Amino acid sequence: MKKFFSLGLVRGILWQIFGTALGIGFIVLVRILMGLPAWKAEPAVVFGALLGAIFFLIGVGAFTDWYKMAMGEEVPEEVDESSLGWRRYFGVSLDHKVIGIQYMVLGIILMSIGGIFALIFRTELAESGMQFLTMIEYNTLMSLHGMVMIVSILVGIAAIMNYTVPLLIGARDMAFPRLNAFSFWIAVPAGLILLSSMFLGGFDTGWTGYPPLSVRAPLGMQMFFLGVSLAGFTSILGSVNIIATVIRLRARNMTAFRMPIFIWAAIATSIISLTATQLIGLSFELVMFQRLFGMGFFDPVAGGNPILFQHLFWFYSHPAVYVFVLPGLGIISELLPVFARKSLFGYKWVAMSSLGIALVGFLVWGHHMFTSGMAEYLRVPFMYSTLLVAIPTGVKFFSWVATLWKGKIIYPVPMLFTLASIVVFLLGGLTGPPNATIATDLHLQDTYYIVGHFHDTLFGGFMFPFFAAVYFWFPKMTGRRLNENLGKLHFWLVTPSFFILSLLMMRVGLLGMRRRIADYDPALGFDNYHLMMTICGFLIAAGVLVFIINLIRSAKSGEPAPGNIWNSRSPEWQVPSPMPVHNYDKEFEVVGEPYDYGLPGSTYVRFEGEEHHDQP
Amino acid sequence: MKHFIVVAILVIVCTFLVYTGLTAIGLLPIQASEQAIVIDELFDVHIALISFLFSLIMVIMFYSLVVFRRRKGELGDGAFIKGNSGLEITWTLIPFIIVVFLAYLGAYSLGEIRRIDLTALQVNVTAGQWYWQYQYPEYGIASTDLYLPVDRQVSLDMTSNDVIHSFWVPEFRVKMDLVPGQVNNLRITPTITGSYKVRCAELCGASHAYMEGNVFVVEQSEFDAWVSEQQSTVVIDPVLRGQQLVQQYGCTTCHSLDGSSKIGPTWKNLFGHQVTLDDGSTIMADSEYLIQSILEPNLHIVEGFPANVMPDFKDILDQTQVESIAAYIESLK
Amino acid sequence: MTNHNQTDTKRRGVFVFIFLAIATILEFGIAVFTSMWGFLVLLAIIKAGLVMYYYMHIQRLFEQDIETDHKSYAFKLVTNRLGLWLFMLSDFFIFGGLLLTRFNLLGLTRPDLNQTLGLVVTSVLLVSSFFANRAEASMEKGDRKGFINSFAITITLGILFIAGVIGVEWQLAPFSASDGVQGPVFYTMTGFHAFHVLTGVIFLAIVLRNGIRGHYTAEKHWAVEAAAVYWHFIDVVWIFFYPALYLIGTAL
Repeated sequence: MKKFFSLGLVRGILWQIFGTALGIGFIVLVRILMGLPAWKAEPAVVFGALLGAIFFLIGVGAFTDWYKMAMGEEVPEEVDESSLGWRRYFGVSLDHKVIGIQYMVLGIILMSIGGIFALIFRTELAESGMQFLTMIEYNTLMSLHGMVMIVSILVGIAAIMNYTVPLLIGARDMAFPRLNAFSFWIAVPAGLILLSSMFLGGFDTGWTGYPPLSVRAPLGMQMFFLGVSLAGFTSILGSVNIIATVIRLRARNMTAFRMPIFIWAAIATSIISLTATQLIGLSFELVMFQRLFGMGFFDPVAGGNPILFQHLFWFYSHPAVYVFVLPGLGIISELLPVFARKSLFGYKWVAMSSLGIALVGFLVWGHHMFTSGMAEYLRVPFMYSTLLVAIPTGVKFFSWVATLWKGKIIYPVPMLFTLASIVVFLLGGLTGPPNATIATDLHLQDTYYIVGHFHDTLFGGFMFPFFAAVYFWFPKMTGRRLNENLGKLHFWLVTPSFFILSLLMMRVGLLGMRRRIADYDPALGFDNYHLMMTICGFLIAAGVLVFIINLIRSAKSGEPAPGNIWNSRSPEWQVPSPMPVHNYDKEFEVVGEPYDYGLPGSTYVRFEGEEHHDQP
Repeated sequence: MKHFIVVAILVIVCTFLVYTGLTAIGLLPIQASEQAIVIDELFDVHIALISFLFSLIMVIMFYSLVVFRRRKGELGDGAFIKGNSGLEITWTLIPFIIVVFLAYLGAYSLGEIRRIDLTALQVNVTAGQWYWQYQYPEYGIASTDLYLPVDRQVSLDMTSNDVIHSFWVPEFRVKMDLVPGQVNNLRITPTITGSYKVRCAELCGASHAYMEGNVFVVEQSEFDAWVSEQQSTVVIDPVLRGQQLVQQYGCTTCHSLDGSSKIGPTWKNLFGHQVTLDDGSTIMADSEYLIQSILEPNLHIVEGFPANVMPDFKDILDQTQVESIAAYIESLK
Repeated sequence: MTNHNQTDTKRRGVFVFIFLAIATILEFGIAVFTSMWGFLVLLAIIKAGLVMYYYMHIQRLFEQDIETDHKSYAFKLVTNRLGLWLFMLSDFFIFGGLLLTRFNLLGLTRPDLNQTLGLVVTSVLLVSSFFANRAEASMEKGDRKGFINSFAITITLGILFIAGVIGVEWQLAPFSASDGVQGPVFYTMTGFHAFHVLTGVIFLAIVLRNGIRGHYTAEKHWAVEAAAVYWHFIDVVWIFFYPALYLIGTAL
């Protein structure tokens, strides 16, 4: 019992409950002192939730070391957490590998929750007419599905980046380990607050939260805004760490173009999430203020401008989608050479393409607003900039197939998912230009075609690469491999079904099916398509369930995999699995190119005290 | 060399198959407007491009996966090829040219669909949660159905009374949002007579899925007849006229006649009774109150109902029309 | 280390402050007597550049770092600086977004605010930045007393700024938070900024307390540098917010 309450997570949640109550009580008190009616739900609950989040962080211990530093006390540089065993994972750990795994587990949990929401409303959609959900229940589930999945993606990429970046560059840990722990733990109360919206009346705006609708939505809307604002800090503070780590802590002789290619992806991603994330926070906070204080930013009657919200919101949310996919595209570039046994084709071009996508990605946000009535002279430039993103993206695709060409390809499960990523992301990318050219977008905007397009890009750019990364690095994390047969089952359950699902989404969208609707006219003839889509959804869920079972079983009793089972040249595979506590007991220096597979006698890294010998 | 020839043939075949497949299954609804014709041509270009690029990447990829796989017992790594600047430049430059060309086509088609016909029919569209309302200023009529003469451009000036909505008839292709506080313009030239549905295409609250209305594209003669009918059924009797106006302007979307609770207060038994306002005071619901409430709804907010939802009708209805509506409400017991 | 060098840094701090003061008076004059808003933007950029170079020493970010021992203090110092600047870069985006909001909603009009009060609080903040720089310069040369005095003045002026904005301006403003769009814009911009000033004051106070207890030396005083640089960052934000709220555009 005492051990249960010693877990950071448990203490955090208890403190959060306490903090929420305190916050609510505080607002009631202030209102009484100001002579107002004591109870007004919205300000009380919003402040309570905010205070609850802060208290969670106090309870879990994320502030402890910083508090000590502020008080002038000594704080140890490194902490030996090995005595804690599995408890490490439930509290503040300074080890980036532990934090990476914490992110991974949280990401899979959120993905499952978001997925279950989808299964529920997809069941409702399988037949026209409303079968068991009310309109507001549908809208809330659909909106939460979107945002919970988005948060799961941000958490999932944090998992991959936090686990692998220090390993790939030869660092002992991230530049700011405590900041790293804080960045993880703030995502937990943020997620809880986001999910609490379901129990506070829900909300009906979709994940985009446009005013004026979001101004008049129920209380759940505020929990949505607050939850996302808090989750934004995970992104922002995480990027500070990634950028500082990559700039400062690389191994000797690891020059820019001798870094593993994934590092370029991580940098490009972090540049975006460091800067643009603030804008979604701002846009949501302004709506929160409109609701709480009557500030008419987006109220035309007061002189406000609803379109301003869309500009602020999409200025982040478009680059955000590149945050979602750049790490995954980096994973594809990282893993193909290992399984094709061949050099990554055009390394420098691929590295630059990640930066290119990130930079151009800042200039295209208006393409989400082509039908909003925004200033006419802006529409065409945004069309040009949007189409331009295709070029660096194309560079990646051509590089990938050129890497495979004349390789010696093998097909373990990580490779299967890497290949699926390419196929699915290709479909997502190719279905983009019709959205970019304004005239065609006028037909496609707000239809299921868009839903199909972004599911393709997100599955291809995040979901499948995430699976690939987990199958690939699981041995590094645990010293065991994931079961290959279950992995293949997972693959064959999710891949064809997802492909069909996205094609059907685009089909009904082109024919007139709008998005975000709880029900549709049977006269449109979409019933069969929707039934098929729902079945595909359940197949995908089954695949993910197999994956989760595989994870749990293999962590305990999977086939031991202590060595370089993939025969990778990357530094982390030159040391035993699971990864030693401080990563590299002997430092290494870079003596060759990262992807010179097929060049006899070439080595990438050499460890201290190692004899110069041929690489197998 | 052999590889390249085989791949090239496969790419051509695959492109052909994908393109004919996609165009055969009928991806889009019928083309019922001039704008649709322009837009579908651009779609066609996109589909051709998608067919080619998908085939190019997929054929090379799957060819490699089969031909360059490691066979049983084979050792060693793949060929040592790190890159090729010429190839990189080529596959950067050619996509760039294609993209600029596509953008040009996009700009051209945008210009085409936005052509202004000075003799266009003017219709003002107002949407709210969850209704469509049309006014024909040239004819002084209002309706909740959109009647359009075929082969004539209609200029829709659109705004919203509350949240953002979006006007979309898939057969016409084009759509435009309705934003409170601003007027967005959309021009459509319908080409095929028939009845269509306009459905709101921007999530606007609980009943977004059901926010639909009728669009009737008819011959000019039929349209003229409809206009005359709307104009002439301006009835002399104020109560009946009020009833007609109530129907035309969609008042009962928010105000019930049978006592049931909707967005606004019910009209059943309203006239002649005391009404409690949101500041606690009470007021008599007499003619003056009814007329004020229509012209400036935010003057008196009834307790339990939201402010800033009902539009100000003082710019939409004239005094006689408002008095007729008040007379009609009076008649409801 | 001789007193000569310390006087050098301090004297430079004085000159920069004089430049900033003149620029501010110039801004005020241009706003009152002309409508040349472009000049105000230019002046703001120059002021910000001065503060970022001389007070925040942004150039240290680009210095060649030859230290290779990742565990040494010197190495971590450079890493910490990078981290702080990355954080401030991110924070700039919120304030940038607020500026965009202000110009989108108000255009070339501005809230109807008391000019004297605006000039007073701006001056308070500028002087506080001067003393923050002076404190850091003192600490760099090991002058603990100078550091303590200057930091204490900085904190006092910071609190005075908050009192001036929240305590006086907010009460005196002729519009409420829900008034049109000038209310929302004014209260949100000054509110976000004042919140950062408050966190800055807390940061400074913590560092002052530790400094009094002798935790910092001329060789190791990262906390002092960080607190001072963060304080200057808040000042740079105000360098843009002041003309945006008080000077640019015609009063509503």
